[in-house]
Amino acid sequence: MLYTVSGVQILATLDAFDELEQRVKGGRTKIGQYIAALQDPVTGTFAGDEWGEQDTRFLYGAFNALSLMGLLHLVDVDKAVRYIQSCANFDGGYGTSPRAESHAGQIFTCVGALTIAGRLDLVNQDKLGAWLSERQLKNGGLNGRPEKKEDVCYSWWVMSSLAMLSKLHWIDGDKLSEFILQCQDPEGGGFADRPGDMVDVFHTVFALAGLSLLNYPGLEEVDPVYCMPKSVTKRCLGRSVAGGRAQGGT
Amino acid sequence: MASHGVSRAAGTIVRSEESRKRELQQIAAYQELVDLVNTKERQYTIEVLGLTTKLLNENPEYYTVWNHRRRVLLALSNPPMEDQDQTERLTHNIEELVNDELHLTFGLLRKFPKCYWIWNHRSWVLQQAEKLLSAATAKKIWSGELLLVGKMLQADSRNFHAWSYRRSVVLELERMSTPTSDSAASDPPLPQSLVESEFEYTTKMIKTNLSNFSAWHNRGKLIPPLLAERQADNAARRRMLDDELALICTAINTDPFDQSIWYYHRFLLSTLIPSCPDQSKIAVDLSNSDRAQYYTHEMEYIGEILEDETDCKWIYEALLYLAECSLEVDAGTGAFTTQDMRSWLVQLRRLDPLRMGRWSDLGRALNI
Repeated sequence: MLYTVSGVQILATLDAFDELEQRVKGGRTKIGQYIAALQDPVTGTFAGDEWGEQDTRFLYGAFNALSLMGLLHLVDVDKAVRYIQSCANFDGGYGTSPRAESHAGQIFTCVGALTIAGRLDLVNQDKLGAWLSERQLKNGGLNGRPEKKEDVCYSWWVMSSLAMLSKLHWIDGDKLSEFILQCQDPEGGGFADRPGDMVDVFHTVFALAGLSLLNYPGLEEVDPVYCMPKSVTKRCLGRSVAGGRAQGGT
Repeated sequence: MASHGVSRAAGTIVRSEESRKRELQQIAAYQELVDLVNTKERQYTIEVLGLTTKLLNENPEYYTVWNHRRRVLLALSNPPMEDQDQTERLTHNIEELVNDELHLTFGLLRKFPKCYWIWNHRSWVLQQAEKLLSAATAKKIWSGELLLVGKMLQADSRNFHAWSYRRSVVLELERMSTPTSDSAASDPPLPQSLVESEFEYTTKMIKTNLSNFSAWHNRGKLIPPLLAERQADNAARRRMLDDELALICTAINTDPFDQSIWYYHRFLLSTLIPSCPDQSKIAVDLSNSDRAQYYTHEMEYIGEILEDETDCKWIYEALLYLAECSLEVDAGTGAFTTQDMRSWLVQLRRLDPLRMGRWSDLGRALNI
């Protein structure tokens, strides 16, 4: 699932679905069918591959790729949505599976999937927004759970979720920008998890995407649902889905 | 791989030519190993198993290799059978294979406790063991898992992979101990449900560290099934609620600046509200005047802490939340005034400027 979703995202970014069709007849449908076959018919969630590990990360990945290809109808969206609801906690957040503790990364996947499904009305937006806003620490950085350390990748998981709930103004964006910029390696380039640490591609992506959500000058606008340039998702999704995504937002 | 907590200074120290060469050799050796494993993608032999062990020790995030390894394991545990002797030898071999996998994943989990694929592989191995080995052997292996996960949580009491794994092991052990018509009488009976001992475990973890929200979270999830299993009547349910509130209030008094503690307090309060789903309730027979009493009691207690801690924003947030809840069930408790609510909001703005936008929205929502 993970490589497949990345593959679809790259094809979307390169606007290459037509070329895929030329090279592999029915290629897009085949990809969609592969993803759809990973949905658990009983619970509605998705496995990562034939070995069956289930996690809301895979559910989000499925929704992400299928919606980019316009093939969401291949799966039982309502059942998947019910599964996400079963992962919800009293604090408005979501865990990896039912009964699991709320975790910012998992919240991104669940809120992202619900946004794609046009069902943000099911989110306890005030509670979740409050919980997410409490991830910001005095140094401006964001953590992923209560009483944990800050980490640049949560700039993305937390902020994208706040953006989907239209509550980005519930944290201090300037302080967060400052924190993210401190995580940069001023000589070699790239971003690390925390100031002074070793940089890597993973943290660099989420630092840049986070800065884009904060309207940092010179960056392309990022789509908080897909973690891709908005110009790309707009092109793929067209008007209907974009309209669907707006509902439920306050 | 993403790197966490690795200091950049260590990497930028000017390396000697010798250490640079050594590093290049290591990279070349790794690449060679990756190529070798990938050319043997369709070979399911002990040799390939060994190669994947080597590669996964270097890079446990390479999930394709875990999949390759599982194919090899399935092939090795399912060769064509000819006679009874062979079957017995095979059972022995499978036990060995299972033990080797548990050993490998344990070692890797100590080094990479947050790697999804290792936890996943371990679960898969245990499920296979249950399919391929006798019920008694499988049960013995599963029981050992609680010890393992206990060790992992000792090393990092907030590891959410370990907590999830713990819940799944408990489910599995409970499922296995459900008596079936053909279960052997000689088996030592496992307790039907582990909910009491798991609840005790969270008590132990919280006593070690009040700030462990993962333990508080699990505790909250265990209360409804615990009450159901005890067949608690209304009075016993209220006692549970009172005991938990007393426990968390003592914790608040100990450290009013700790988020974890406040979240559990908020969780308990969330079970009081009229719209709380039945399966999440602790006390089930509350009238609105009971609720108002609880809210007033909490406000008084927190108000006392406020006298010593005027700069703790969590206190004001809790007071505002309790006020909101009170207004929902009974407008006239007299425990607070709109003026009080306004002053708490002023304090929140003063103490917590990072979330200024939120406090503005809250003021508007409460119309104060």
